[in-house]
Amino acid sequence: MLRHRSRLAAQVALLPAMLIALVVYCGSTGWTVWISLTSSRMLPNNNFVGLRQYEILFGNERWLVSASNLALFGVMFITISLALGFLLAILIDQRVRAEDLLRSVFLYPFSMSFIVTGLAWRFLLDPTLGIAKIAHDIGFTWFEFDWLVRQDRVIFTLLAAGVWHAAGLVMAIMLAGLRGVDQEIWKATRIEGIPAWRAYLFIVLPMLKGSFATATILMATSVVRLYDLSVAMTNGGPGIASEVPAKFVMDNLFERQNIGLATAAATSMLITVVAVVAPLLYWRSRAEKAAS
Amino acid sequence: MRRKGWRLSARRVGLYAFLLISAAFFLLPLYVMLVTSFKDMSEVRLGDLLSLPAAPSVGAWVKAWTTACTGLTCNGIQVGFWNSMRILVPSVVVSIAVGSVTGYAMSLWRPRGATLLFGIVMSVAFVPYQVFLYPLVRLFSFAGLNSSLPGIITVHTIFGLPTMTLIFRNYFASVPIELFKAARVDGAGFWRIFTSVMLPMAVPIITVAVILQVTGIWNDFIFGLVFAGRENFPMTVQLNNIVNSTQGEREYNVDMAATMLTALVPLAVYFISGRWFVRGIAAGAVKG
Amino acid sequence: MFSKRYLLSCAAAAVLGFAQPAAAQTAEVIHWWTSGGESAAVKVFADQFTKAGGKWVDTAIAGGPNARTAAINRTVGGNPPTAMQFNTGKQFDELVEGGLLADVDAVAAQQNWKAIIPAAIYDAVVRQGHAYAVPINIHGQNWFFYSTEALAKAGASEPKNWDELFVALDKLKAAGLIPLAFGDQKNWERNMFNTVLAGVGGAEMFTAVWGKRDANVVKGAGFKKVAETYKRLKGYVDPGSPGRNWNDATTMVIQGKAGFQIMGDWAKGEFTAAGKTPGKDYGCTVLSNSSSAGYVMGGDVFAFPKSKSADVAKAQAMLASVMLAPDTQIAFAQKKGSIPSRQDLDVSVLDACAQKAVGWLKDKSAQIPANELLSPPAVTGAVEDVISAFWNDNGMAADAFQAKVVAAFASAM
Repeated sequence: MLRHRSRLAAQVALLPAMLIALVVYCGSTGWTVWISLTSSRMLPNNNFVGLRQYEILFGNERWLVSASNLALFGVMFITISLALGFLLAILIDQRVRAEDLLRSVFLYPFSMSFIVTGLAWRFLLDPTLGIAKIAHDIGFTWFEFDWLVRQDRVIFTLLAAGVWHAAGLVMAIMLAGLRGVDQEIWKATRIEGIPAWRAYLFIVLPMLKGSFATATILMATSVVRLYDLSVAMTNGGPGIASEVPAKFVMDNLFERQNIGLATAAATSMLITVVAVVAPLLYWRSRAEKAAS
Repeated sequence: MRRKGWRLSARRVGLYAFLLISAAFFLLPLYVMLVTSFKDMSEVRLGDLLSLPAAPSVGAWVKAWTTACTGLTCNGIQVGFWNSMRILVPSVVVSIAVGSVTGYAMSLWRPRGATLLFGIVMSVAFVPYQVFLYPLVRLFSFAGLNSSLPGIITVHTIFGLPTMTLIFRNYFASVPIELFKAARVDGAGFWRIFTSVMLPMAVPIITVAVILQVTGIWNDFIFGLVFAGRENFPMTVQLNNIVNSTQGEREYNVDMAATMLTALVPLAVYFISGRWFVRGIAAGAVKG
Repeated sequence: MFSKRYLLSCAAAAVLGFAQPAAAQTAEVIHWWTSGGESAAVKVFADQFTKAGGKWVDTAIAGGPNARTAAINRTVGGNPPTAMQFNTGKQFDELVEGGLLADVDAVAAQQNWKAIIPAAIYDAVVRQGHAYAVPINIHGQNWFFYSTEALAKAGASEPKNWDELFVALDKLKAAGLIPLAFGDQKNWERNMFNTVLAGVGGAEMFTAVWGKRDANVVKGAGFKKVAETYKRLKGYVDPGSPGRNWNDATTMVIQGKAGFQIMGDWAKGEFTAAGKTPGKDYGCTVLSNSSSAGYVMGGDVFAFPKSKSADVAKAQAMLASVMLAPDTQIAFAQKKGSIPSRQDLDVSVLDACAQKAVGWLKDKSAQIPANELLSPPAVTGAVEDVISAFWNDNGMAADAFQAKVVAAFASAM
């Protein structure tokens, strides 16, 4: 009797999560996909138009710019953060003094919101007040640093802020991985006379596949959601040079009163994420299986 | 021997030099924000970003906290601070409650549909929020939750569920199964085992969950913007509003003070929790 | 289980925390008036409403799009404000179609709007014979404001047409001043473009582009000249313009650091707040290459979401009639820099700039309906993106721009 009641209780305890999963996760996704197939503008309607919104979407320059921005940002952000984070982790692993302090310094940006990060960097990179002005004042008058307001460079300012935000996270994850490497392996490389940098690159690195995948997945999901940083730092400008897909969706959903197009964009984001993350997850589960 | 020692220390010098330069890069924005916030505008206008304030003053901080304006309301960012607090506390409690119960039920009781549910919940960790936004706005309006405190708390619970479920499921799954079986033999039921056996053991993972949720919810912008409503705009939204409404000259010192104030809570959590913070992130790194 | 009990207690706490005595007619008004002059203007409404026995709850949200988003979300979500601001035009079309707005026919009939409000503005609030918003003011969107001091310093005088404008800009540049103060954000890039479109292209082209979305006109030589003139203006703005707020650009003119600013007449509110007198400290003009004035005319309206509560409906009616009351209209217009939407008032107290506009309002051929009256937000937004890309991309040729505008017309169903 009690046993039965407990089983029931377990089933009941799962209800909130079930409800959320069914109604919010599945229901919302379904509805979003459905609206993207209709001609809805400010308010949803059920006027089916097939893939017309997607045709419009992929003929829309701002969407294409947003998508290519995200691709460029994503690849460089993940690559540079991984490289810098791994490098910092290796350096910290050299039994340095003040290790705790250094770790704190590298990781603290990650605790702050992208809004804070964006505003701080916007100030720092302001062409009339920021770093550029310092350079001018100490005599480097040739030094022009106006990337924040240059269409072809602005995405790199977002990148700098993004790397600053996330590199410490990679460092923390990789350092944990490094500390888990068997001491015997280090002994063996020393006996073999392998230089440390080669040992890190060719022996240790492959062993940390799982940590790499974890860091990559964490960053990949934050890349797709990239919105706050662009809003706080450039608001998509100058022009449409630093627009991102999430902002395209938000603007069309609300300000532009074009929810058909917005949901088509959101659905496209979803499909892209599935295409990128699924292989990564597969790769990591294999890496972990191989490690264990 | 001597030669080798010299080379070694050259390497050490290089190592420390690189670490110090990196540390400077990471500290620069914080430093600039701090010194700017303690300057007055006449000094900010001179444009020497790196100089220490000539006459340090907390004027900008006071103004940012109490009188900075968004439109007609000039109550400073403190409004946002208290809003964020009112959102934060219940959101953290509710999301951890739901997540821990779900994780506990999934790991030890394996009720029907648990595996499928876990799969769905986990995949959501990767889905762009934009997919859910519009339907949720409509759904909430139907339930009368839009632009309200319960509404934004529900949103944080909904989107905290994947991570919370994951870390609690993994934690409870690692509990020795004998403990669980013994409790059942003693006649304890579902809730009894949860409250008197599992929860007391789960203090470390609850700490991790609290750290994760406090930083995550405090730093949220998009949900606060869409779901909280004006009376409840969290500090991040308030900050963006304050910085972007200027009257005459842009007051960088006030902007930076407001920015620092917004960053204080997560920074405090970070520095107090120390290594727990890293553990939290590692635990939250979703496993497929 | 946990969550439900918790939510309930939270809801209870929220209700207790926010409970207010419901004595006066309470009106929560969402608007985006956050600059100095704008704040002063909205205070006129608030004060008059309070005087009439109501309680004004101010919800200012910086940025028009943000404010509209919040208002629409809340209305769709069943928790509407009492009143919400839109630009005069098509922004609230679907709210009407969706049956979410209350009409204000009673107030419109009582104040006889049809007779006292200019046709273009009146038509913009009427759908199928019902009035769905209060047109509170009329704004000219294509004004040139200039600092008399800066122009004198540069030896320039008030331009009469676009050619003279560029002469004046060159003189300002030579004098080491910032010729054109600009708050470079997307919607102001569009507004500046519209100013050129109206002044260089003319009224017919303006309505063909925004109203009919006529691809042939956009591909034509006339439009190309507009595009080139627009781009030419870029040589006169300062490097600090990107991301700047429009009111900060106005401050540059007020301080005499910059010569001109192209802006709607809401900028006058900033001049007034700074204690400047039109015709003396600063001047204002609208430039047109044709014989008609080419005054681009828009404005603001307040719409009222439907409510089941009789109290709310009462507050809405009261708000509507207070907003159009003669003394409110004049006081508001003075602070805001706009001109009253009612034409049956004595406007002699308004400043020199407003007098020019009042003259144009008597002559239909001098008026061009604003962008917002002609196209829905989805189209406006898509074209705005193209304008913004053109302004910011030094490599983009006028031909490419023309093609992209045509493509943008197709971006909304």
